[in-house]
Amino acid sequence: MSEKAVQETFEALFALTDLRQIFRETKPDHKLNDEQKKKVEEILKSVRRSLGVIEEELTK
Amino acid sequence: MKNIIEDIEIRAREELYINIHPIQPGGRLTPAAMKAMISYGDGYSTCDWCRKPFRLDKIKRPSIEEFHVELAEFLGMDQVRVVPGARRGFQAVASSLVEKGDSVIVSSLAHYTEFLAVEDAGGIVKEVPLNEKNIITAEATARKIEEVKRETGKLPKLIMIDYFDYMFGNEHEIRGIAKVSKEYEIPFLCNGAYAVGVLPVNGKDIGADFLVGSGHKSFASPAPSGMVATTNEWAGKVFRTTQMCGDVTKRKFGIKEVEMLGCTLMGANLIAMMASFPAVKERVKHWDDEIKKINYFMDEFLKIEGNKVPSEMPRKHTLTKVDTTGSFDKIAQTHKRRGFFFSDELGDRKIVGEFAGATRAWKLNTYGLTWDQIKYLANAFQDIARKYGIKVLA
Repeated sequence: MSEKAVQETFEALFALTDLRQIFRETKPDHKLNDEQKKKVEEILKSVRRSLGVIEEELTK
Repeated sequence: MKNIIEDIEIRAREELYINIHPIQPGGRLTPAAMKAMISYGDGYSTCDWCRKPFRLDKIKRPSIEEFHVELAEFLGMDQVRVVPGARRGFQAVASSLVEKGDSVIVSSLAHYTEFLAVEDAGGIVKEVPLNEKNIITAEATARKIEEVKRETGKLPKLIMIDYFDYMFGNEHEIRGIAKVSKEYEIPFLCNGAYAVGVLPVNGKDIGADFLVGSGHKSFASPAPSGMVATTNEWAGKVFRTTQMCGDVTKRKFGIKEVEMLGCTLMGANLIAMMASFPAVKERVKHWDDEIKKINYFMDEFLKIEGNKVPSEMPRKHTLTKVDTTGSFDKIAQTHKRRGFFFSDELGDRKIVGEFAGATRAWKLNTYGLTWDQIKYLANAFQDIARKYGIKVLA
């Protein structure tokens, strides 16, 4: 594991924090509009990418 | 939901519920502040790059020094220090200016920490009475000063008045009070705990000698956090540095400020405050929209027969005192859950933050809610009213 894995850990946590914010903005029923749905998709993609890098680092 | 550790539950009420708690909304963190908490949570995290002269407000990485300069500018004052809550700002000023037996003018709606700050300094509070609209006027302040002068033979040492109070969220005549303070040559501290960070506030425009704000009440920051700002005229007194010298070691700590007890917000609280600052600077420009939302909500709230609003109307602040004695309290009288029926009904609709069990006079705050959430909230109140046969005007 390298510094990259640490960096990606923060990236993932920060992306999930942005997801938290979407929950805050859409409470209590969390009905998302198209823009918010798109943002959530981008967040999930970003988190998956970070997790992929961390996984890769683990197998090095 | 899983706990953080055995007996500490995850706090997800801001993600799951509409929170109308009177004092929580303005301190709700921005995403940037939440990220700062993740990264800077370790104890002395701000001290990584602390170099000579070894004082918090002089640290350049992260840019704490620059933040202090920009914060002072944002507040319309010359100098500022971050402190653990507005109360520590009151304390620093009172401790610097007030001596044993001195009188200090405060509002009849002053926060208890203003009392404590004066007491700690050995002073005596003298309260300005409210007018019939629950407002502190400049005229009443001048009358109180004259009364103190007559009774004690001395002028008060300090005037400390809230911009918006915590009981009604009413706006008080701070500009007029600042003028009065100038006429009597008494320094004026404007308590902006419910103002700085949610609405535009410029200390010098107000005419304040001191401007105090709260991070956790109104600056999207964690508790405790706050700020005390002043003019160059007063900075040397309130931010004076230590003159003490150890008799054995001859040690001196020259750069450290006495009232601040050296460094103040060391760690995540300050960095979160800094992280929220750009969003705070932006959000104060949209205060008008927050006022439109609370007034929309109040209009809908008042359609419920028996509801009253003891706060000034139309609303100038999102923090508001409401009275449901003539509506929901009537239901509470015969309900098996008494006043808690109302909390249950709100909870069922994913609304929290009311004073649990209270159905007479209580406070709420709509700051930061979206229009959809405001409308949802208004509908929820009317829905509960209809459920219990309380008339709701069309």
